Amino acid sequence: MPLVPFSSAEVIKIRSGGSSRMNSSNAELDRRRRFDSIVSVYHQDMYRFAAWLSRDKAIAEDVVQEALLRAWKSLDALRDEAAAKQWLLTIVRRENARYFERRRLETVDVDNLTPSQEALLAEAPDEQLDDLREAIYRLDDDYREPLVLQVLMGYSTNEIAELMGLKQGAILTRLHRARLKLKESVQSEDALY
Amino acid sequence: MMTCEEYREAVAANPLYEGGDSHASQCPACQAFQTDMQALDSKIARALAISVPELKMPELADVDSSIVSVLRTRRLTTPAWLAVAATVAIAAVLGFRMLGNDLSYPSLADEIVAHLEHEPYALRVTDKSVSDSRLARVIPADLATMDHSIGLITYAQSCVINGKEVPHLVIQGERGPVTILLMPGEKVDSRQSFSGQSINGVILPVGDSSIAIIGEDGENLKRIENNVKNSVTWST
Repeated sequence: MPLVPFSSAEVIKIRSGGSSRMNSSNAELDRRRRFDSIVSVYHQDMYRFAAWLSRDKAIAEDVVQEALLRAWKSLDALRDEAAAKQWLLTIVRRENARYFERRRLETVDVDNLTPSQEALLAEAPDEQLDDLREAIYRLDDDYREPLVLQVLMGYSTNEIAELMGLKQGAILTRLHRARLKLKESVQSEDALY
Repeated sequence: MMTCEEYREAVAANPLYEGGDSHASQCPACQAFQTDMQALDSKIARALAISVPELKMPELADVDSSIVSVLRTRRLTTPAWLAVAATVAIAAVLGFRMLGNDLSYPSLADEIVAHLEHEPYALRVTDKSVSDSRLARVIPADLATMDHSIGLITYAQSCVINGKEVPHLVIQGERGPVTILLMPGEKVDSRQSFSGQSINGVILPVGDSSIAIIGEDGENLKRIENNVKNSVTWST
C-alpha cells in the first residue's frame, strides 16, 4: 500500500525553522514516522472494517479520515506496537458510531441504495460472490461486525468479545447465527437457478 | 460426547473448530457440515475483501505542546521512578533525607526523578526560550555562570533538592525535553547512571558539586554532558 509520507516541502519547512526549532521538530518527525509506519500496515484493515460497519464506501473513507486524525492525536497512548491493529480498529469502531450518531443514520434502506452503498456490492465479477456479499450486507449489524472481525481480521472470539465489550458466549451465538443465515441465503439463491 | 447440535453450533461459530474429535470421527454428516462451513468461510473472506482506495493521509496538525506535556507526564509515572530505584548504578547517598519535610528517598537519583514528576509542566516541547533575566535570577552569579552553548533553555526554576536550592533547567534535546539540575554542594564520588521507564539520566561529579541530566530513552546524553560542562562555570 503506497503511503503518503512527509513531502520534501514539509521537511524543508520544518528544518528551515533554524537550529533552535530543529530539536523539537526531530521529536515530531520521529512521531510522524512511527505513525506512518503503523498506518501503512493497517490502513487496508481500517478501511474494510469501516466499509462493512457503515455499508458505504464513501462513509468508510470519512470514518477512516476521522479515525486517522484521532489516532494521530493519541498516538502516545499506544505503547505496544503489537496492539496497534486492535487500537486502530477500536478507533474506527468509535468513529463509525460517532458518524451515525451525528447524522442520525441509524439504518440503511437496503432496497434504495445510494451510489456509494451500491459500490460496496459491485465489487466481484463472480455472481456467487455478489450474492454472498449482498447477503452479508443485509445481515444485522450485530451479526456482521463479529463476522468481519473473525473472517477478515483473523480475531479470536475472545478478542472480538473484548473489542465489542460483550461476553464470549454472545459472540459465539452471533457468529453461529450469522453463518447459518448466510448459508441459508446462498442456498436459496442457488435454488432459484 | 457432544451432540450433533452442539458440534454444529461450535463449527458455525468457528469453522476451524478442532474440539469434539470423537463426535466428528463418528458422524460423517457433521464432518460434511464442517467442510461446507469452511468452504462458505473461504467465500465470505473473498466477498469481504473489497478493494481499498489509496490512502489519503489527512492534514495532521502538530501536536499541541500542552498535549505533549500531558503525555510526557504520563510517561514519568510511578513505575518509572520505582524502576529507577532498581537500576541506579551507584546508590551513593543511601538513606537520603530531604530536609524540611519527612520525605526520604533511597538515593539522590530517586529524589531527582520524583522531583521531575512534581514539575511535569517543565517538560514541554517548545521553541520558546526563557529570558536572560529569568535565567540570571535562577542561576545567580555567585553560584555559576552559563553561556548559551548549552542549547535552547525552555524552562528555568529554582527548586529544592536534598534541602538545597538548585537551578532546574530544561533544554530541548533530539528526542524531547532534557532536564538539567545544577546541584551546588551536592558532592558525588563518581559518575552515576540511572534509567527508568522511558527515561535515562546521569549525575556528574563536578568538584564539590554535581550536575544531573535526564532525557528520554535514546537521547544522546554524552553530547549534552559535554555541552553542559563547557557552558557552566562554577563560581565557588
